[in-house]
Amino acid sequence: MRRDEEKGEAAVFQRVVLKNASPYHYMKVCLVLEDESTKLSAVELKQFIITGLKTLYGEVGAALNFDLLKYDEDTFTAVLRVYSKWLVKLWSSLTLNGFYQNQACAFRVLQVSPFLLALSGNSRELQLD
Amino acid sequence: MESPMIRTPRSLLVCERSSFCDENNRVSSQVEQLHFNYKVSVLLSDCSSAPSHLESLLTSFSHFYLVRNLPLHELLDKQFLETAVYQGNVYGLSYRTRLDEDNCVALMPNGHLVLSLDKDSFQVLGFEGKTSTFNYKTKNRYVVTVDLTDGSMAPGRQAYLRLLTGLTSRLPLQMDFLLSHHPGGGASLQALLSRYIWSEHKPEVGTCSLTHLPCPDLQSCDPHGLLEWLGAVDANISRDNSSSSFLSSLVCPEPKRTVSRALRISICGLLLPHDVQRLIQELRCYLGQCQPESWVSLTVHGFVDSPVSWGGKEHGVLRGGENFYTLFIFHDHTYHLHLAAGAQDTCPP
Repeated sequence: MRRDEEKGEAAVFQRVVLKNASPYHYMKVCLVLEDESTKLSAVELKQFIITGLKTLYGEVGAALNFDLLKYDEDTFTAVLRVYSKWLVKLWSSLTLNGFYQNQACAFRVLQVSPFLLALSGNSRELQLD
Repeated sequence: MESPMIRTPRSLLVCERSSFCDENNRVSSQVEQLHFNYKVSVLLSDCSSAPSHLESLLTSFSHFYLVRNLPLHELLDKQFLETAVYQGNVYGLSYRTRLDEDNCVALMPNGHLVLSLDKDSFQVLGFEGKTSTFNYKTKNRYVVTVDLTDGSMAPGRQAYLRLLTGLTSRLPLQMDFLLSHHPGGGASLQALLSRYIWSEHKPEVGTCSLTHLPCPDLQSCDPHGLLEWLGAVDANISRDNSSSSFLSSLVCPEPKRTVSRALRISICGLLLPHDVQRLIQELRCYLGQCQPESWVSLTVHGFVDSPVSWGGKEHGVLRGGENFYTLFIFHDHTYHLHLAAGAQDTCPP
C-alpha cells in the first residue's frame, strides 16, 4: 500500500519546446517630432499610425489590427501589440511615416520582441552614470 | 513557402513543469547556467508588503563594480589571474557595448574569457577563434573563447603571450567593464580596481503594491498568454479593456480570478545566479507559510548584450536579444518554468 502511495505522489516532469508559437509581437516605439512642444494623445497617436498604414498599404493595411498597450504623453513612447504575421507591415509603415500635421517626424523602434515580458527587462536601459 | 512579409525571426519558449520534491528537478542547474542577469522581477500573490526575511535578502544581493576604460589586456594580468580568476566565481561583462554593433567581452565564473568581435577586430587581433554560429550570408562576427585556467594560458606560455601581444599592441581594446564576485568566494578584485577609475554599485530594488489584480488560472493558461499577462503586470499595462475600446483589446486570459492584493518587486544590476538561488529558496520558505492558493512568480532577465547565454553557449542579437526565464512556484512545491530565447540563441537547457 505504501509503495502505491509513493508511486502516486511521484512528480510528473513535462517539457515542451514551442518554436515561433507567439501569436503576437510587441514593439516599444518612440515618436520624435520636429516641434517638441506638440501634444499628442493616445487616440491621436493610434490614428496617426493607422493613417501611415493606409498610406503605404491602402485600405487593407488600415484594417490591420494592432493595440496601443501603453503610451507616455511626455516622452511619446508607446508599446504596441500586433499579430506576428503583420509585424513587417506595421514596422515598415512606421519607418516610412515621416510627417505629422505638416511637421517632420520619425518613429524610433526601441525594442521588438515576441514576449511582452522582454520589454520590461531590457539591459540596454541600465544607467550607472 | 512563407512570404517574407509575414515571416518573423525564430523564437523559442521552453515550458517545464515539475516539482521541487523531485530530486531530479533541474531548476537549480538552469538558474546557475544563466551567468549574467540584469533584472529579477518577483510577483507575490496575496501580499501587500515584503516580509522582513525577504527584504533583508534583497538588500544583501552582491554588489558589483563598474570600471571605466579598462584595457582588456588587464584581464590577463598575472596578479588578477591569481587573486581573482583562478579563485573562480568572478563575473565580468562589458558595459554599454551593443552585441550587434560593437566588440563585446564576457568573463565567465569558470575562467573562460569570451570576446565577440567584428571581422576587422578579429583579423587585427590575430588569435584563434571561430565564426559566429549566427552568421548568415556574410561572416562578419567572430567569437574568441579562451580558458584562462588552462595550462596553455598560464602566464609566460606561448598562447598567453600571443593573446597578450594581440590585446596590447595590435588590438588595444578599452571598454567600460562590469565586475562582480561572490563575497565569500576568495577572489579579490582590489588589485585591478586600484589601477583604474571604478565605482561600486548595489542592485537597485523597487517595490510596488497592487490591488484587485485580475489573474488567469495559472495551471491551465497557455504559456504565451500567461507570459503576456505577466509582462503587462510588470510594465503597468492596463488589462481592463472593453471589446469596443479603440486603443487596445488586451484583456486578462479567461478563466480569471481577482487577487485582492499583490506585491511586485524588481531588482536591477549585475545579478549573480548565486543570489537568485537564495531568492528562490527564500520565496519557497515564504510560500510555505501562506495560504494554499498563493503563488509566487520570479522572472530573471539575462543581459541583452552578453556574448554568452545559458551554459556558455553563444548569444546574439538579431532584432532583439531576449533571454529570460520565468518561474511560477506554487504552495504544493510544484513549479512551472518558462525559458525564452530569441533568434540568435541555442535552445535553453
